[in-house]
Amino acid sequence: MNERKRLTSLIMAGLAVLALLVAGCAQPTPQVIEKPVVVEKEVPVTVEVKEEVIVEKEVVKTVEIEKVVTAVPPPPGPVTISFWHIYSEAEMNMLEQTLIPKFEAAHPNVTVESVQIPYNEFRRKLLTSIAGGSAPDLIRSDIIWVPEFAYMGALVALDASMPDFDTYKEAVFPGPLATNYLSGHYYGLPLDTNCRVLVYNSAMFEAAGIATPPKTMDEFLADCKNIKALGEDKYCFADGGTYAWAVNPWIWSFGGDVTDPDLTVATGYLDGSKTKAAYEFLKGLVDDGYMHPGILGGGVDTWGGFGNDEIAMILEGPWFPTIFGTEKEYGFALVPAGAGGPVSVVGGEDIVMFQQSQHKEEAAEFIRFMLSEESQLAMAEVGQMPVLSALLDTEYMKNHPYYGIFLEQLKTARARTPHPNFTKIEEVYNLAGGAYLRGEMSFEEALGGAAATIDGLLILE
Amino acid sequence: MVPGPPCPIDSAMNRTRITQRNQHILTAYLFVLPGLLLYLIFIIYPMAKALQMSFYKWSIVPGNPSKLVGLANYAHALQDPVVKLSLRNTIVYTLITVPGQMILALAVALLLNNISRGKIFFRTLYYLPVVTSWVIVSLLFKYIFQSPKGVLNHLLVNVFHLIQEPIPWLRNASTAMIPIWGLGIWKGVGWAMVIFLAALQTIPKELYEAAAIDGASSWRRLISITLPLMRPTLVFTLVMLMIGGFNVFISVYLITNGGPLQRTEVILSYMYHQAFDFLEFGYGAALCFVLAVVIVTISFLQIRFLRRPEAMGL
Repeated sequence: MNERKRLTSLIMAGLAVLALLVAGCAQPTPQVIEKPVVVEKEVPVTVEVKEEVIVEKEVVKTVEIEKVVTAVPPPPGPVTISFWHIYSEAEMNMLEQTLIPKFEAAHPNVTVESVQIPYNEFRRKLLTSIAGGSAPDLIRSDIIWVPEFAYMGALVALDASMPDFDTYKEAVFPGPLATNYLSGHYYGLPLDTNCRVLVYNSAMFEAAGIATPPKTMDEFLADCKNIKALGEDKYCFADGGTYAWAVNPWIWSFGGDVTDPDLTVATGYLDGSKTKAAYEFLKGLVDDGYMHPGILGGGVDTWGGFGNDEIAMILEGPWFPTIFGTEKEYGFALVPAGAGGPVSVVGGEDIVMFQQSQHKEEAAEFIRFMLSEESQLAMAEVGQMPVLSALLDTEYMKNHPYYGIFLEQLKTARARTPHPNFTKIEEVYNLAGGAYLRGEMSFEEALGGAAATIDGLLILE
Repeated sequence: MVPGPPCPIDSAMNRTRITQRNQHILTAYLFVLPGLLLYLIFIIYPMAKALQMSFYKWSIVPGNPSKLVGLANYAHALQDPVVKLSLRNTIVYTLITVPGQMILALAVALLLNNISRGKIFFRTLYYLPVVTSWVIVSLLFKYIFQSPKGVLNHLLVNVFHLIQEPIPWLRNASTAMIPIWGLGIWKGVGWAMVIFLAALQTIPKELYEAAAIDGASSWRRLISITLPLMRPTLVFTLVMLMIGGFNVFISVYLITNGGPLQRTEVILSYMYHQAFDFLEFGYGAALCFVLAVVIVTISFLQIRFLRRPEAMGL
């Protein structure tokens, strides 16, 4: 009898384990049931109307019609939308403590879950979640990832799914908007924009007797000579490697390019004579000891070196003042001009929605909220440059201590190759540039070979 | 159960016995079941899935079709120069760190076996690196080997004056593997040491006493008694460390990330790069199976030839 009892309890235990496992596997299914509920009952609609009034009247109609058509019972429960981003601490506090509560107050049945992920892990984590079918509803994506995600079929074409898309399309800067475009559709809206400008270390400039930041490449070289004279361990300039974000400003400022404007070919551009001049200039900086050797590999703590008066100039974005702090004196200037002018690289983020989102209506509502003047100005307080052209004329932007220089630089700044294969393309010329700067290959061997490889990557199957 | 015809008593007893045996078997299976299920779900299923992926140009978005490409991923792997380089780096890593760990671990185990006081203290001390996080110590090693202003360079140049110029450790392919090897050895010694200590304690004291009477030196005792009796343990440790060596990843990923110019790429870091940066999951999976074939072959040969001396004609 005793044994039978033990057996029964064992069977029970086994069944319990099985049940747990099955339950664990089956978790995602219940969510799907919520899918057909497209329009919320009353609260969200009124808010939608309120918001829409600001922009366009037509839209209000569409929303109302939808409401009549779908006499669906109210959603079974509160809706949670997830929003992944790479905001810094200050930016995240603004988002989580000011903006999201405001949005949730206006949409009582919607909860926004904000998830901060470090930049280096973001793309991988996202890809894993797409593969697992559990992508977030919205992300704040680096502009350079959007074509890839769109090409993969992971994103919702916002111009097709948001009836009021055109109002937003017209309200934002065209440059950042263009980063959302892929073969006939817009897959997102810009959320913030930025570019790199020259940041110089005032103390080192003073010690080296440099009165004004360099305006041209020649002046830059002359300043470097003076800075090197301060000591063997003093560097004129530093950057983390030969990736696009680092080398493209030099390529463009020298008048070169990575591909033709239509992104069909790299040969003749990446290995062209103007691009060659840019890489030769960089190699000269490395060979003369003006450039911190960290660009060749192994990395460099540019901010640390800048703070310790070891590095005189770096290229940085508008987040620099809020994160770096104010204990050190520094100034901003345009990147030095070469044959192509002072051309920097555009950065910034777009807000995009995933096909796997179960709450597309609510997610779209959050996009509208983040693009409202109020939200844009709030994020501007913590270093996020707004994308609404209407804000350019506001007192806030005109009187801002440092956005002026970035807006000036943005006039000529350009975006990195907006192509679904960007990650691979960048890897190719990153490695080639490294091999050239290290003196392991001639320019023709390294960048010529890279251009030929990139020619193949530009063709989409 | 269907009631059968009335049966003789001994047959009834027989049946009870069988049911009892069945019960024992059933009990055993039930104990195995949870582990087996976990094994099937988390080991066998992903492996089968990865094998399937390796024959496809795999699309990661659910619902998008993946293209069957047969052995193309494997063919590509055999021609890819970075695969050759990363395989070479992986093998060199194993050849350096496995003997490094075993020799140091054996030395430490022999010393610890002979001391009577503080044994637990030192054992814990040597075991500590094993339980520290790979991530933390990798970042620490990266920090130590920074150039021109890293801790090690500072010590070598300014404190001990051993070299004139700081060594650009992580910038040169020839020196970038040194911190990775160093970390591998430092972190693994404790594990092998604990296993060796256990083996040393099973060797009968009488053998040493008899050898001492015969006038054998301590070197002679090590060669003729200790090592032969530790043979199974040594082989086991060798195989396990070799498998670990071939699976080196976190340290490479965090210290050099394959750089400079992919020169320190090992198979797994290159696989990770291909799968998670370039979304070439099919190719990444194929690389994993290439590595798996190498590991299984070498492990099999090691066990086949080292465990039983007679197999080598000894």
